[in-house]
Amino acid sequence: MEEIVQLKEKNQGPGSRLEKNDLRIGVYVCHCGKNIAGTVRCEEVAQYALNLPGVVLAADSLYTCSEPGQEQIKADIREHKLNRVVVASCTPRLHEPTFRAACQSAGLNPYLLEMANIREQCSWVHLHDKEGATSKAKDLVGMAVSRAAKLSPQFELTVPVLRSVLVIGGGVAGIQAALDMADAGYKVYLVERTGSIGGRMAQIDKTFPTMDCSICILAPKMSDVGRHPNIELLTLSEIKEVQGHIGNFKVKVLKKARYVKKECTACGDCIQACPQLAPDEFNAGLSIRRAIYMPFAQAVPSRFLIDMDRCLNNQGIVACDRCFQACNPKCIDFADEDNLLDIEVGTIVVATGVDVYDPTALTELGYGKFPNVITTLEFERLINAGGPSGGELIRPSDRKRPSKVAFLQCIGSRSKRSNPYCSNVCCMNTIKDALLIREHWPETEIYVFYIDIRAFGKGFEDLFQRARREGVTFIRGIPGEIIEDIDTGDLTLLGENTLLGSHYRYTMDMVILSVGIKPHKDAPTLQRLLNLSTDTDGFYMEAHPKLRPVDTTTGGVFLAGAAEGPKDIKDSVTQASAAASRANILMSKGEVSVPAITARIDLEKCTACGFCAKVCPYHAIEGDKDLGYFRVIEAACKGCGACVPECRFGAIDQAHFTDEQIVSQLDKALSEDPHKKIIAFACNWCSYAGADFAGVSRIQYPHNVRIIRTMCSARVSPQWIERAFLKGAGAVLVSGCHPSDCHYNNANQHTARRVEKFWKRMEKLEINKDRLRLSWVSASEGAQFARVIKEMEEGLKKLTPVKIQEAADKLKKAICKKREAS
Amino acid sequence: MQEERGIMTVFKIWKHFKREELYECYQCARCTGSCPAMEVAPAFGPRETILKCLGLGYDQLVEDEKLWLCCTCNVCEDRCPQKIPISDLLVALRNSAALRGNIPGRLSIAIELLAKTGRSMIVHQLDEMRSHHGLAPLPPVPVDEIRQILKKTGLDAVIEF
Repeated sequence: MEEIVQLKEKNQGPGSRLEKNDLRIGVYVCHCGKNIAGTVRCEEVAQYALNLPGVVLAADSLYTCSEPGQEQIKADIREHKLNRVVVASCTPRLHEPTFRAACQSAGLNPYLLEMANIREQCSWVHLHDKEGATSKAKDLVGMAVSRAAKLSPQFELTVPVLRSVLVIGGGVAGIQAALDMADAGYKVYLVERTGSIGGRMAQIDKTFPTMDCSICILAPKMSDVGRHPNIELLTLSEIKEVQGHIGNFKVKVLKKARYVKKECTACGDCIQACPQLAPDEFNAGLSIRRAIYMPFAQAVPSRFLIDMDRCLNNQGIVACDRCFQACNPKCIDFADEDNLLDIEVGTIVVATGVDVYDPTALTELGYGKFPNVITTLEFERLINAGGPSGGELIRPSDRKRPSKVAFLQCIGSRSKRSNPYCSNVCCMNTIKDALLIREHWPETEIYVFYIDIRAFGKGFEDLFQRARREGVTFIRGIPGEIIEDIDTGDLTLLGENTLLGSHYRYTMDMVILSVGIKPHKDAPTLQRLLNLSTDTDGFYMEAHPKLRPVDTTTGGVFLAGAAEGPKDIKDSVTQASAAASRANILMSKGEVSVPAITARIDLEKCTACGFCAKVCPYHAIEGDKDLGYFRVIEAACKGCGACVPECRFGAIDQAHFTDEQIVSQLDKALSEDPHKKIIAFACNWCSYAGADFAGVSRIQYPHNVRIIRTMCSARVSPQWIERAFLKGAGAVLVSGCHPSDCHYNNANQHTARRVEKFWKRMEKLEINKDRLRLSWVSASEGAQFARVIKEMEEGLKKLTPVKIQEAADKLKKAICKKREAS
Repeated sequence: MQEERGIMTVFKIWKHFKREELYECYQCARCTGSCPAMEVAPAFGPRETILKCLGLGYDQLVEDEKLWLCCTCNVCEDRCPQKIPISDLLVALRNSAALRGNIPGRLSIAIELLAKTGRSMIVHQLDEMRSHHGLAPLPPVPVDEIRQILKKTGLDAVIEF
């Protein structure tokens, strides 16, 4: 398709002279192929923009983010002396850096760029409403132009990046990331919750599709970690607190007591002496260990540890010291204590991995009730030479070798009753397991009950074919019921072969449930500590699903392995190296610029009341009454803006999110038909991203909402809400991250407080309280955002313009009264 | 009037059931695998019913006698990973079949009996047995009340009684 460019020059008549303060705004409306132009009439929007005050040039182009598109902007800045640029295209969360860089290279301060989100928040969510979408796009461009007129140049501070990194989680992803960065010369702290690194991969017998011995290829990497001079390995450790920011995180790590000194030779004399038993977690509970134990033979560090919950010496009372007596080098130390370590790092890699699904809840399968129904993880331990049966395939009820074995696929995956997603690894894992049985005990009959076999990776289809050729029977149709024969322990599977359309009834010696994987149970804790986002399944969310797959929304924090989504070993290792490389970029450069969006205090107006300092989540405001004023420590300020609405004297403002800028957006949005409109204030990290996600998912909602972005919902000033209602807005939505998910250290508690105060005021004035709504929407809750807007639209239908005007008058009267009183 | 009620009933049949919900079925066959009717009539299955609804349309199914084998025990729904309201579908299909006069003969006899006597089956020796065990005779059945209930469900539009 040919690129359509409309260029129209105004103020070019003879005698027009360029004043220094003259606004010269250039507006670019992007078609994004058909993504925007399919719904929004872009030429009409550009035409509309041309008539807005300050706009000297308006153009629509097929792809503004492309090289020619950017070159056009640069050329126009130079040729037409543009001093503001407005790009109406996708979300600023995607291409703001692109266009800022284009402006900068043409000599325009990057903070003089403004974007109007007419894709994620317009064309994609009003697919079937061309009129509505076009008029909304005009409004959004109008709002962006109004805001652009009020923008001022900003200069970013740079902060140093420490050349050290924290890796959380010692599975194969954490190990790979730690080794990569340690080899690159950085100091690495590898924190692991259990007594040894190795993670899930250490438990698995063989890997697919190559059938390598899992621990044989992992163990050398584990010992590399153990002896690497740049890696400080912290096992039995948990992250307790994370402060600071990209480049300089201050982390508190709780290193729990091991009760066994470094000098331990791993001779094992202590185990013989210990009288206390416990289920062995490493063998998935299929065997027992002592209270003093080594997690597994290849453990790194290769040292014993004491499980104090099992040891008789709990609570410091020494009731038994048999291990101490048995230990020749005297390594047992009952006086060992937990240690809280302070470490400082420049970047963080999160590799917390996964847990396996517990199928007990699916009662029809009898897991936990019938001994011969086991999970794939238990099976891995069972056929592992280092496992409880020494690698012999036996069934738990009578320890005899089964001659008929069934695998059941999709247990705990692809289901609304458990996890809705596909766990990615179970199909291939089952095929591998089936082939292992075939290899060792060729006479065994093997049945795989499946819905779909997903063999999507390199070498996967070959393995699937091999399994079929070697006589593994694949039956399409999951059994509905398993019945146990109490006398023999045999299991009868009832179900339907969907391909034959006939009922089946198979009697098996053993059933293996191919269980899915789910986010680690510690994932929510770390999510709060690091201000990460999670998707609806509980996995950590990437900054961008395609283009920034290992970055998070928190600067300097990267994701590795299955914590981000179900992954096999190869993908985990690939992603770990990617995360290491991303962290490396920051650390090798040694510095990073931080956005110039800090709060600034006008010392003339400041009365030193100190209210702002009280709400600052980062203690970034200092001063006292004696000094006569308070000031912002710019390096500590994160730019949430929570302090601004707190100031009763209008002495504080936030750079790039000033009251003037937001109010100009608000006024423009309400300049026509205000009673039909919903003003939505959305925080950058959760709600604005959630609205974007609704767009990406094409979830449709009413077109009369106008979204205004702030960094944090705590920036939303009650005065803006008041102004919106005075102007006759139909409804106002204030939306932020869920409480405790706030990206600014719970600053959104102030949002809730302020909105509640406003509700009380509305109640007093007998204004319909439902017109102001507070809603927590996370970045993955696009559907929730759409639902809120739909509900508000329903509420709006019950209001008449007269009623709205009456309410505005009431509010006006109350304000006048208050002013007179003071 | 009769016509109108017919339309009303059709509307009500599908009120609690969204057809879109069927699209989420991926034919895992857990439903058929756990169906007790399958034990006695292996040709019947909820999975196949859903597939036919999607592929052939509802009209093809209402003439199928096998629909009436379902005993609405709800186990299929309980086991369904996609939470598809299979029982609701089967009930809706049977209502739809009944409206078109596709009711198995033995069932309409039972309904007629219920409307006339208030009982779905008559056991002649019952009173004798009860008195043998020292129990009082069965109380009389409020037939009119039962007829009213049957009328409220719209059953009188389908079967004459």
